[in-house]
Amino acid sequence: MAQIPVQTIHRDPQLFYWILAPITVVMVLTGILRHYATVMMATAPKKMDQKTMREQRSLMHGINLRNNYHVLSKRSFNVRRDALTAAFESGAYLKNPDQRGQAPPNPLSDPSAMDGMMGMMKNQMAMIIPNTLIMSWINAFFSGYVIMKLPFPLTIKFKSMLQAGVATRDMDPRWMSSISWYFLCIFGLQSVFNFILGSDNAASQMAAQMNQMGAQGTPQMFGPGVDPDKQFQAEAENLAVIEHYSVLDDVETRLLEGIRA
Amino acid sequence: MTWISKTTTFFGLVLLAHACYSAQEHSALQSFRTTSAVNPSSPGTTAVSLPLDISLETLVATAIICFGLALGTPPLRPIQWRVWAGKIEREGEEGFMNADGEVSRDYVGNPFKMLETRPGFVDIRRQKKDFAEWVRSSGEKQEAQI
Amino acid sequence: MSTEKDYQISPVVQESIVHNSRTLFNFQSLTASLFGVCAGILGLESYTGFLFYIISTLLTCILFYALRIAPSSIASGKAPFDTSRYFRGAFEFWTSGLSGGLAGFILTWTLFYGLVRA
Repeated sequence: MAQIPVQTIHRDPQLFYWILAPITVVMVLTGILRHYATVMMATAPKKMDQKTMREQRSLMHGINLRNNYHVLSKRSFNVRRDALTAAFESGAYLKNPDQRGQAPPNPLSDPSAMDGMMGMMKNQMAMIIPNTLIMSWINAFFSGYVIMKLPFPLTIKFKSMLQAGVATRDMDPRWMSSISWYFLCIFGLQSVFNFILGSDNAASQMAAQMNQMGAQGTPQMFGPGVDPDKQFQAEAENLAVIEHYSVLDDVETRLLEGIRA
Repeated sequence: MTWISKTTTFFGLVLLAHACYSAQEHSALQSFRTTSAVNPSSPGTTAVSLPLDISLETLVATAIICFGLALGTPPLRPIQWRVWAGKIEREGEEGFMNADGEVSRDYVGNPFKMLETRPGFVDIRRQKKDFAEWVRSSGEKQEAQI
Repeated sequence: MSTEKDYQISPVVQESIVHNSRTLFNFQSLTASLFGVCAGILGLESYTGFLFYIISTLLTCILFYALRIAPSSIASGKAPFDTSRYFRGAFEFWTSGLSGGLAGFILTWTLFYGLVRA
């Protein structure tokens, strides 16, 4: 096999000072800015009136009972289950019991629902706007420069992505342009933000996305457009089918085993 | 503990910076030598491996920084309730001091304290008796003062 | 079913799990960037670099175990290399750093490779 000569391109060292450093610094600063912007824009949760609160809390009560029934004795579990099921089925905890059976209001017309959406929109905006700005900035100023060589070989498919704006046919796809340094920065700077801002920062987009995934469980439960009456009925059904056992069943045999061993 | 970690990390960083500078100078010198050599037909041979001492310095510096960083991590917490509760009962806030002598932010205190003050567990008769005794004793004291 | 009942009998502190895995994650993302610097200075290329990354991450895990887990874990009667006092799964402990720090590793590797081989 013939030895393929290594491509060397002599680059001006000034490229580092005038392209690499500005992009990196701007990326780091944008991350920090995004963190503080998110902290500042976070709205305090709105106060709820008593009826709404009661509706949500009683549903939580049911869910907690369903999840933790094993720490209760059989008798107390049964008492709780009977009380909760009766209340859920009769709709005693509903916010406005006379609206049972009606279709839920349109979530878009409900003013209290807009808040949650606005919060989500703000987070999305805080991520999208800086990214778009920086990308257009890099495209406008720094497109067409080859600045670096990746230390690992890539297939030819990556060429169009890494060497955007550099139209040469024979160049090794390992050479990368400024826009691909930007992409590397997006993914790789997470640890830097971890170090600077502490680990629960808002700068790293991966973590933000993960949070959104995780947070979707809660707002949907009480979110707009969900009929609370139906939720109560479902919860009552869930409670009714639990086959109760307690963790304290046969605790004495376990204790004796533990002592004997 | 923490200053050991910080000094170790700092020392390692200095070593690493020195190694980085040496490697940079080495490669710059190499490329300069090949370009100015009499035989310019082999410009692709700039990829000469680093001298052994620079590589060794890099590796040692990395190991030192790793060690320093590992020393600087906050102590872990046991994940089983019984082990953790035992630790809290024994050590209290002392077990949750971070390196700067502050109690760490997410320390919530003894999680079983709630049980002691739960309304269902209050011994109301004893409290009533205590209160009655307190009223009586303070009344006697006032009479004595008068 | 039996494992679920086991967890109910001896429950697990969720906050501690989060704290421990976050500690480990922070440490490993820092060291991953550091290994990137090291690999860049050494001028490693392609497979050698990734091999270096895997080996050094495993070594970091062992270092972390020796410094942070082993003293109290062995004192409480656990076998060596048993991380169950602080982490739920052994597999999670030994391999979580590989995927978490890879992006940081590649970033610093590229940067220092480019800087040194100017």
